[in-house]
Amino acid sequence: MDLFRVENLTFSYPQAEKKALDGVSLTIKSGEFAVLCGQSGCGKTTLLKMLKRELSPHGVRQGNVRYNGTELGDLDERSAACEIGFVMQNPENQVVTDKVWHELAFGPESMGLATDVIRRRVGEMASFFGIQAWFRGNTGELSGGQKQLLNLASVMVMQPKVLILDEPTSQLDPIAASDFITTLGKLNRELGLTIILAEHRLEEVFPAADKVLVMEEGKVLLCGLPREIGRQLRAISPKHPMLAGLPSAVRIFSGLNIDDACPLTVKDGRRFLSAHFTGAIDRVEIPEYTHSQIIAAEMKNVWFRYGRDLPDVLRGVSFTVYQGESFCVLGGNGTGKTTALNVLAGLNQAYRGKIVIGGKKIKEYKGNELYRHNIALLPQNPQTVFLKNNVREDFDEICKVMEYSAAERDALIAEIAVQLGIAHLTDKHPYDLSGGEQQKCALAKMLLLKPKILLLDEPTKGIDAFAKQTLSGILRGLKAQGITVIIVTHDVEFACENSDRCALFFDGEIVSADTPNSFFAENNFYTSSANRISRHIYKNAVTCDEVIELCKRNYEAAHEQ
Amino acid sequence: MKKKDLHVILFLILAAAVLLKGTHIRSVEEYYRTHIDDITPESETVFISIRCNTVLNNRDKLNPALQSDEFVPPDGVILQKSEYVLREGDTAFDMLERAVRANRIQMEYQGGNLNVYNSVYVQGINYLYEFSCGPLSGWMYLVNGVFPNYGSSKYTLCDGDTVEWVYTCDLGCDVGCEWMEGG
Amino acid sequence: MRAFESVHPAAAFAYFISVLLVAMFTAHPVLLCEALLGAVLFCAILSAKGFWKNMASYVPLFAIIALSNPLFSHNGVTMLFFLNGNPVTLEAVLYGADIAVMLIAVIYWFQCYSFVMTSDKFLYLFGKAIPKLSLVLSMALRFIPLFKAQLIRVNRAQKAMGLYSGKSFTDKLRSAGRVLLALITWSLENAVETGDSMRARGYGLHGRSHFALFRFTGRDGVLLGISAALTGLTLTGRALGGADFAFYPRITGISTAPLSLAVYLAFGALTLLPFIIETEESLKWTYFVSKI
Repeated sequence: MDLFRVENLTFSYPQAEKKALDGVSLTIKSGEFAVLCGQSGCGKTTLLKMLKRELSPHGVRQGNVRYNGTELGDLDERSAACEIGFVMQNPENQVVTDKVWHELAFGPESMGLATDVIRRRVGEMASFFGIQAWFRGNTGELSGGQKQLLNLASVMVMQPKVLILDEPTSQLDPIAASDFITTLGKLNRELGLTIILAEHRLEEVFPAADKVLVMEEGKVLLCGLPREIGRQLRAISPKHPMLAGLPSAVRIFSGLNIDDACPLTVKDGRRFLSAHFTGAIDRVEIPEYTHSQIIAAEMKNVWFRYGRDLPDVLRGVSFTVYQGESFCVLGGNGTGKTTALNVLAGLNQAYRGKIVIGGKKIKEYKGNELYRHNIALLPQNPQTVFLKNNVREDFDEICKVMEYSAAERDALIAEIAVQLGIAHLTDKHPYDLSGGEQQKCALAKMLLLKPKILLLDEPTKGIDAFAKQTLSGILRGLKAQGITVIIVTHDVEFACENSDRCALFFDGEIVSADTPNSFFAENNFYTSSANRISRHIYKNAVTCDEVIELCKRNYEAAHEQ
Repeated sequence: MKKKDLHVILFLILAAAVLLKGTHIRSVEEYYRTHIDDITPESETVFISIRCNTVLNNRDKLNPALQSDEFVPPDGVILQKSEYVLREGDTAFDMLERAVRANRIQMEYQGGNLNVYNSVYVQGINYLYEFSCGPLSGWMYLVNGVFPNYGSSKYTLCDGDTVEWVYTCDLGCDVGCEWMEGG
Repeated sequence: MRAFESVHPAAAFAYFISVLLVAMFTAHPVLLCEALLGAVLFCAILSAKGFWKNMASYVPLFAIIALSNPLFSHNGVTMLFFLNGNPVTLEAVLYGADIAVMLIAVIYWFQCYSFVMTSDKFLYLFGKAIPKLSLVLSMALRFIPLFKAQLIRVNRAQKAMGLYSGKSFTDKLRSAGRVLLALITWSLENAVETGDSMRARGYGLHGRSHFALFRFTGRDGVLLGISAALTGLTLTGRALGGADFAFYPRITGISTAPLSLAVYLAFGALTLLPFIIETEESLKWTYFVSKI
């Protein structure tokens, strides 16, 4: 049975030249797990909102959306609100009330259910989602992952027939994201719930999905089984930007052009590699690691805690970053990575240990000297960087503070805008930009400080695969300019591609630091999917491209004989 | 931290209050060892008396803590009509203060700087306070049988004046004050 | 979790109100001492940790109030000395001490109140009368910490760019104003999303109901009954003159008439009620544990 049938839906926002949706047709069957992917700005969010009447944006629309055979607009209010559940991207903003139990009860209260019914439903949901432990807690004290789980539970408590989710994991760390996706899979498998999920982190979503829709510029480009998508995309263009967002196994498969079933998981990927390739050449050649003799930043045995009676967050952190190097600090949530970055940036004072930046102790920097051509920190949430009504005003302000002349300022802003590809964004309000665009503009503001050392805190949070690639390109450019980059991230794949050295942060200190290929090759769990797929054959391949390259070389070697 | 601040502020206010008021400490004996001018033939004098007869008719309204001959004498007379030397510029209030001090009668007043009338207000004499005997009770004064319509510290006395301090339980009606009835 | 925390909000609220009403409108030293004792014992059980530290800070408060009263009140037959022509009397000092006991007792009771009557309980009580208000309050309680956290984040981000961290006061004020302005935009932006989330969950549908976790049990009924009876007894006894006490002009003795004793007993029992409940509970637990 078709639960949703969208026919030839076209939509444009008021005063927009481009159509946000352009002749979209699709059907979602009852019980299906459909995944919607595409670059940011392709119309995913608009399409999803058109499926939920209460959230449908205003604008010019044509075509129709049918839910259970009824035109969505003709549906009675109660079923429209209760049967179609919607979870949004930002975990924070969807929480309405201050107590967890009240949040869960919010939907049923709207439905006007009796206290006993609400009590039962809330109890049921809290048990299913494992919320009991913090059921009576404050919503403000939850982690991002817990908040998003609560948002999901408070939609599920209304017993919807279909669940629509708009990039629900983009603000979560990998472990919370993976838990969330697992929960979705469970809801789909065990309750037969129909799920429509827009997502750009596809590694774990693909194996659970029944159907994948790829959108591009307001159109549905592809619609098919997860196993077919890689091949179909490749058929459209071998360098299609969406390819970069697919799971590693799919990327390796589609990069090799072998006639076999497409693997979706690491397990399938390993089987696939074993079946088709040998390990005659088992290493990629890595240029030897060299570094400049000048130390850009150094921490020696640094200890930090937030309050006298609180536990230590940093317990003797020591590391050295050389000039022009890009250094990635990886680690789980709450290990103190971000704190270490803040201490390095002088935002928190260590109570023991030595921090040297640019050959000078951090304590010897007076006033704002540390932030003048020395160090710049791009915070996790790029929105916090902007205070003005448009990006350009923010840029001008910082130039004024840095005392650039007008000519110097205009030249510098123009140069950076071109370098980062943001020239068309400077007149917009910062909040109107997408996550990736905000990130780039915030980075531009940092670069106007002309720092020698750039600190990035979780730069890949909330941005899609394509924006990640753009960011990697920008970082390569900065490296070429001789800027030292220190990145704190959860994103193993991103770290593989963008670092000269990687370090693992655990329990308040740095436990190991090495070049990415040896670092990840030695890790068993904390490593890229590509490495996990290939490690039984190849010793040090960590990125998909490296695996593909090794496979190809082995294939050629085997066929020459 | 905040509680500490509060205490510091309170303490400072108190200290300021004490300093502003000035600190002149005397023992009880010292205070009452006051000098009364002797009456000589050439000295100008006034007569003063303090009465609370009205209370006797309103015993039921009287504050239970004052139900005693000690505070309300059986004849209603706290100070018999007595003669005192009038000093240059003495007001009705000055006279009262001197008389109660000489007779060790308790008296409490509100300074003229503390009220809107700019005149001293007598709150209580011999523990008998305003409102001690019903909501319309308090102290009033007469000079030569007339109720002056202004504060006692503004009324300058003349030779031979008779000042009577009387306690009313009914806004002056029960002691024969006419202007209070109208207003 | 303390036993009293699990009491139904209505019963707990009624209890606090009756104790406070009696304590705030009496000057009888016995009743006030009972109020203080009950509050201190209750508070000690509720927040054992910071209790003594907290207590130390009330000593100077006590002294200040007790000693400042004689400066402003000169009534009383037992004159100690004269200060600037005004008598400082023993009665005034004792009355000051009495008021100080009342004030500290009331503060302690409010501390216990805020510990027991958390925001959700309060909202539950008054939400029934005004459901919209209760939702608004709940949203506000949710929003304030959110706003604070974002304020800290923005300030840090700006500081790390060497902006808005001027040393002078006017600089600070001006930059705080700008940050606040930006944060208001941010809040509005977020409010749109919160509103979407509410509508997506059927907010605005006709016939909204009101849900709460609390259930009125027999235990709550008993507690409510006992406290009502004790309060009634205290108030009746008071009305009949059982709790009369005067400081001025001479301190009346503490009455030991049967009526007065009944008032002391009733109010004493009322103030000690939470302590008795908690003690009974913990005794039960030691008994259970010893049986295992």
